[in-house]
Amino acid sequence: MSALEIENIRKTYGAIETLKGIDISLDSGEFLVLLGSSGCGKSTLLNIIAGLAEASGGDVRIGGRSVLGVHPKDRDIAMVFQSYALYPNLSVRRNIGFGLEMRGVPTAEREKAVLETAKLLQIENLLDRKPGQLSGGQRQRVAIGRALVRKPQVFLFDEPLSNLDAKLRMEMRTELKRLHQMLGTTIVYVTHDQIEAMTLATRIAVMRNGRIEQLGTPEEVYDHPATLYVAGFVGSPPMNVLDGVATGEGLRLDGSDRLIALPVHFKNAVPSGKRVKIGIRPEALRLVEDDDRQPALKVAVEVVELTGPELVVTGRVGGQRVTACLPPRTKLAVGTTQAFAFDDDALHLFDAETELAFGR
Amino acid sequence: MSGTSMTTRAWLLLLPLLAVMVAVIGWPLADTVGLSFTDAKLVGTAGNFVGIDNYVKTISGSNFQRSLITTAEFAIISVFAEMVLGVLAALLLNQQFYGRTVLRGLMILPWALPTVVNATLWRLIYNPEYGALNAALTQIGLLDAYRSWLGEPGTALASLIVADCWKNFPLVALIALAALQAVPRDITAASLVDGAGPFSRFRFVILPYLAGPLMVALVLRTIEAFKVFDIIWVMTRGGPANSTRTLSILVYQEAFSFQRAGSGASLALIVTLLVAVLAAAYAALVRKTAGSNA
Ligand SMILES: Nc1ncnc2c1ncn2[C@@H]1O[C@H](COP(=O)(O)OP(=O)(O)OP(=O)(O)O)[C@@H](O)[C@H]1O
Ligand SMILES: [Mg+2]
Repeated sequence: MSALEIENIRKTYGAIETLKGIDISLDSGEFLVLLGSSGCGKSTLLNIIAGLAEASGGDVRIGGRSVLGVHPKDRDIAMVFQSYALYPNLSVRRNIGFGLEMRGVPTAEREKAVLETAKLLQIENLLDRKPGQLSGGQRQRVAIGRALVRKPQVFLFDEPLSNLDAKLRMEMRTELKRLHQMLGTTIVYVTHDQIEAMTLATRIAVMRNGRIEQLGTPEEVYDHPATLYVAGFVGSPPMNVLDGVATGEGLRLDGSDRLIALPVHFKNAVPSGKRVKIGIRPEALRLVEDDDRQPALKVAVEVVELTGPELVVTGRVGGQRVTACLPPRTKLAVGTTQAFAFDDDALHLFDAETELAFGR
Repeated sequence: MSGTSMTTRAWLLLLPLLAVMVAVIGWPLADTVGLSFTDAKLVGTAGNFVGIDNYVKTISGSNFQRSLITTAEFAIISVFAEMVLGVLAALLLNQQFYGRTVLRGLMILPWALPTVVNATLWRLIYNPEYGALNAALTQIGLLDAYRSWLGEPGTALASLIVADCWKNFPLVALIALAALQAVPRDITAASLVDGAGPFSRFRFVILPYLAGPLMVALVLRTIEAFKVFDIIWVMTRGGPANSTRTLSILVYQEAFSFQRAGSGASLALIVTLLVAVLAAAYAALVRKTAGSNA
């Protein structure tokens, strides 16, 4: 059964359309990440699901029941906010139990639930402190505890980790993944961090300007980006995008006379003479001997950076910038021209006008 | 630079200001203290030294005690009412509705009016012959005959308190409104999701952010109300039958109407001391409130 269905949700503020018809259906136990850059409407959508904002059109169903006009407290959801949003003058214990307290759950039962949740999050020793006496990471645990303790149908997270430093963010990410695997809860999670999205999600909805650009598993979004925007947004460093044109014989990069053979699966999809954007992920490029036997880019190497786990090489192909991620011990001199090969599968093709991926 | 030479320099820089303060505050204060130990009249001789006679007479006198009670009544009731009205007004003006900005602006008006104007306005409203209050109350049938609200000892103080509230609740409302706007939106949202009703939301979400600023408003208003003079002077001059004679009015009468400078000075110093004690107690309270929310 669908835990959450979002049907043609629209939202306008005055003349500005913030959400332009969003459709998502989420099975119980799924971890959906709404991914998109700032201002694309992620929080607005989450607030509409929570009942904190009113949709201008469309329907939201939680557990099969339409919740339009239903008060947030009666929607069987819990929410975790970027700013933690803890009640400043209540102890951690009461913060976590607040939702139960407001629902009139008897004290003994409440105490038990709070303690269980605190144990799960390893914050039993903080129960009598006030939020002001906690670190950022501890506060976020309390905020998560406050959501967990109520065991709702759907959990909503609005950028819960973005106020934490990098190390803590990674720890909490793993922690969230562990909790999700252990509890099997349904989660909608907002972030603009694509690594968070890739690691946490069972499905990612990439949003842009109030629309969903692509909805799919992390693998689908990474391996088969539906649009140029998704291709550029997911992945770090971002996918190389080269301008070119499809000819009868293959792909010709602008500023270069070398042809790249058109992989078979694109043969019928791309009309000859079409302007295209050619996408290749940096990590799909390998350094090869220049022997013309395989598709390869001839790159004039300009910068070589060792990040530790990999060597990031930046250069140009016929004036267009290309980045490649190579194994860290690769020997490579700046100023030389090198051949970088890639598999047919690693080649992405987008219509230069519509920016949509060509089908395979 | 070492700590001590920093301190020395700080004192050196403060010296001119301190000198001015001693000249304009310290000297007159010392003079008043001196005066309070004499039986000096407002005009004429410097008076003779009488020790603590003035103080003993003042404190044990019935005028002082009655004024103290009147002042306390005035201060406690009007400040309490102002706090309640102010918070309610702030909660209302914090809602989203059409014309909110205009209403926020209008609300400040009573407070922005000079006290004398406000007092005159209310005298007109309370006027026994053509006052609006009498007209309104008789028209809706709550009153049979026109009354002299400021002329009867039973109603004069209450009438003054109403006028004072009308003037001063906007200040409380303004402070409370600013505090309400500091309540993080996410916490309000969290409380909605958690199922807190309006009362719980006020208690657990709003009050923590309101308490500190309200405490400051309380201190300001209590001390001001305790020293009240102008509104009463314009409306009743302490009458009828001394029923609205607060301490400040009493000081004025003693020193200027009855021209007893010495005993007036002692009275003034007692009032000053009372206000200082009040201020100190409140300062401690504010520190405590601020501390518990940190
Ligand atoms: N109350 C409002 N009135 C008018 N416009 C609004 C309002 N709330 C949001 N918007 C607009 O709607 C758009 C989407 O906002 P939203 O908060 O959903 O973005 P977001 O994707 O969550 O961004 P971020 O990553 O910065 O949090 C923004 O352009 C914003 O300016
Ligand atoms: Mg947001």
